Amino acid sequence: MIDSKEASAALADIDDIVQRVKQSQLYELASLAALWWGVLVFAGNLVTWLWPFYARYAWPAVDILGVGGLIAIRLLTPSQPQPAAFDVRLVLVFVLFFAFGYICTNVLGHYGPRELGAFWPIYFMLFYTLAGLWFGYAFVAIGLVIIALTLIGFFTIGEPFPLWMAFVNGGGLIVGGLWMRRI
Amino acid sequence: MAELDDIIHQPLRLKIMAALNALPVASGLEFARLKKLTGATDGNLGAHIETLAKAGYVSVDKAFVGKKPQTTVTATATGRGAFARHVATLQEIIAGKQV
Repeated sequence: MIDSKEASAALADIDDIVQRVKQSQLYELASLAALWWGVLVFAGNLVTWLWPFYARYAWPAVDILGVGGLIAIRLLTPSQPQPAAFDVRLVLVFVLFFAFGYICTNVLGHYGPRELGAFWPIYFMLFYTLAGLWFGYAFVAIGLVIIALTLIGFFTIGEPFPLWMAFVNGGGLIVGGLWMRRI
Repeated sequence: MAELDDIIHQPLRLKIMAALNALPVASGLEFARLKKLTGATDGNLGAHIETLAKAGYVSVDKAFVGKKPQTTVTATATGRGAFARHVATLQEIIAGKQV
């Protein structure tokens, strides 16, 4: 029989490994979401670059497909001991997120295509970075890198800014998602 | 008085069972993922998984994903029960119910 000190150490080992499994599952889920959004954002920026007129249709489609995909990933991935139930708060988070973004870009300010192209990725990645303070350093790293590259592009890249954003935001999320699967 | 499970009590096997038990029922972990989580070497991990499998605590499924072999380890109902009892015994020891 072991003493209470050894028993405590064994339970601490169990807690440690359970935390690692949870972190690993979270990264797996987040990587799927990042890959999904990465592909959509890449396509959205490409449309904006090649056919600016159709950007007004492309971005709402990206947002709807993106949020729908996130909900599907959440419901279909068996990441919890109990199956994930539909959580209306998840929908509410996105409604508030987009409502606040809309107020900033269309009511408080009147952003042009270039400003919109920088605002939404920075706004999105800000939440990503903040979430990372609780959920894992990878979110912080991916968020900060994309925000920094977006700002660099905004101030230094001319006409091809949407193309820059396709690779920085879309490509960044794809690379970040693949990286999450390896850590 | 409950007894510690000798098969689970070994440190690496305890980690393996803890990791598998944290998953939903019938979900497993790939060998490579388990190796990363536990920090074990290939040979060591393989040997301890075999011990757990012989005891009926885990099931091991080998399949090919494309051309790559993939081994998935899953905790069985017996293994989950044994792990829960083992944890309960550890908690009893800490609470001073056992010496």
